[in-house]
Amino acid sequence: MTKRIIFGGVAILLVIAAAYAAFFIAPEERTMGLIQRIFYFHAATAWAGEMTFFVCFVANLLYVWKRQPKYDWLSVSSAEVGLACITVVLITGPIWAHPVWGIWWTWDARLTSTFVLWLLYVSYLLLRTLVEEPDRRAMLSALFGIFAFLDVPLVFFSIRWWRTQHPQPVIMGGSGSGSGLDPTMSKVFFFSVLAMHMLAAFLIVERYILEKMKSELDFLAREVETQ
Amino acid sequence: MKNLDSVFAAYVVGWGVFFVFYLTIAKRISNLRAELDRLKNTLPRAK
Amino acid sequence: MSLFSNTAVLLSKELRTEFRSRELLTTTVVFILVVLILFSFAISPTTEESREFGPGLLWLAILFAASLMLQPCFLREQNNDTLSSLRLAVSDPFSIFLAKLIANTLFLLLTELIMLPFFAIFYNVPVLPEFHWLLLVLSLGSLGISIAGTALSAISAQARMRELLLPLLLLPLLTPVLVVSATVTVSLFERVPIVKGKGIAFLGVFDVVFLTALWLFGEYLLEE
Repeated sequence: MTKRIIFGGVAILLVIAAAYAAFFIAPEERTMGLIQRIFYFHAATAWAGEMTFFVCFVANLLYVWKRQPKYDWLSVSSAEVGLACITVVLITGPIWAHPVWGIWWTWDARLTSTFVLWLLYVSYLLLRTLVEEPDRRAMLSALFGIFAFLDVPLVFFSIRWWRTQHPQPVIMGGSGSGSGLDPTMSKVFFFSVLAMHMLAAFLIVERYILEKMKSELDFLAREVETQ
Repeated sequence: MKNLDSVFAAYVVGWGVFFVFYLTIAKRISNLRAELDRLKNTLPRAK
Repeated sequence: MSLFSNTAVLLSKELRTEFRSRELLTTTVVFILVVLILFSFAISPTTEESREFGPGLLWLAILFAASLMLQPCFLREQNNDTLSSLRLAVSDPFSIFLAKLIANTLFLLLTELIMLPFFAIFYNVPVLPEFHWLLLVLSLGSLGISIAGTALSAISAQARMRELLLPLLLLPLLTPVLVVSATVTVSLFERVPIVKGKGIAFLGVFDVVFLTALWLFGEYLLEE
């Protein structure tokens, strides 16, 4: 219990420190100015979200291989946390885009594939609510999770190679690749990435504990019924 | 200080999403814990 | 060798079941026709526009039709309780998937070929000049739709709300197929040779990735 509180406290402190660094330590971007400071939060959250989806994929594979419920708990936890991260990315993205591009949304490769990623994991969680029996639910959702994760690079490259030929507004920033960034900027950015990963890890642990308690409760309830 | 409101809104909304997500988890955990305690109390009595 | 002989037997079973009634084929053809006509009301295209947007609409219609057509694929087995005996009958459960996905690809391809003349007339697009390329795109696209669709229809058949669930799971997963096939088809109609080869290779990659995944994980989909 105390370990969880310390973990959560550290994660929150890191996130606050990252925000402080983004506002007061990172230098002002030349063309975009203040609004660019969203980048540290926006892109770091995107990285954390992608990482959690990778965790979900590994947990899915492990479930199919080992069939232990704990991998199922881990995969649903990381899918939900990843979805929260991508939701934040999809909300902060337009807030950033509006003053810079003059529009809230454009069907650019990165935006579109993030949106498809979001949709895939929404359907993953939806599928979980529609299968009653725990073992079946775990197996079916693990398999769908594997298919969905394999689809992600295909979605990204198909949209990138074939959908960006049409004329579009000039797109700048948000690359997150770190290349061409000012050294202080990239330090602040990687600190933000670390902070968001800690936050995501903390949320996954909490969600995992919830899922574990749920299955304990199911077990006890069945025991009560049999008596 | 152009666009300060946008940056501010982005951070507040982003943190808000995580906070609300955490709250729902915490609430569900405390509900489950109460339920678990209740069941554990009924079990020995039934034996 | 038993994989292929099993698959051949199961495939002939699938084809016989369908061609006895032709229910699936007729409803799918009519569905695509209705969608294409409704699209033309919604956007009332000029010739220029229809060459640009027509292929996208065609592929969207195919995708929707497929997500409905793949519905009974495993549901029928489940309703008749034939799935477990099917599993006992074959040595490798992958042959069940292989037979079903080949059958679905053939059904889809057949409906597309029936639809193509109507599409060419309504949307005033030149289908014939690059027909062999078009056929290749249609085949690879339909194969991709069928591979992913057969796997997911095995998933959705075991869930509640299955009729709604299958399109919901399938359509986001098929984004790459839609993007690439529609773009390649546009380039065929507008006679620009740019993306053909790369696009077709990409469709091939999609098919191989999901076929491999199905081969590796298919047996877990059918467990009781």
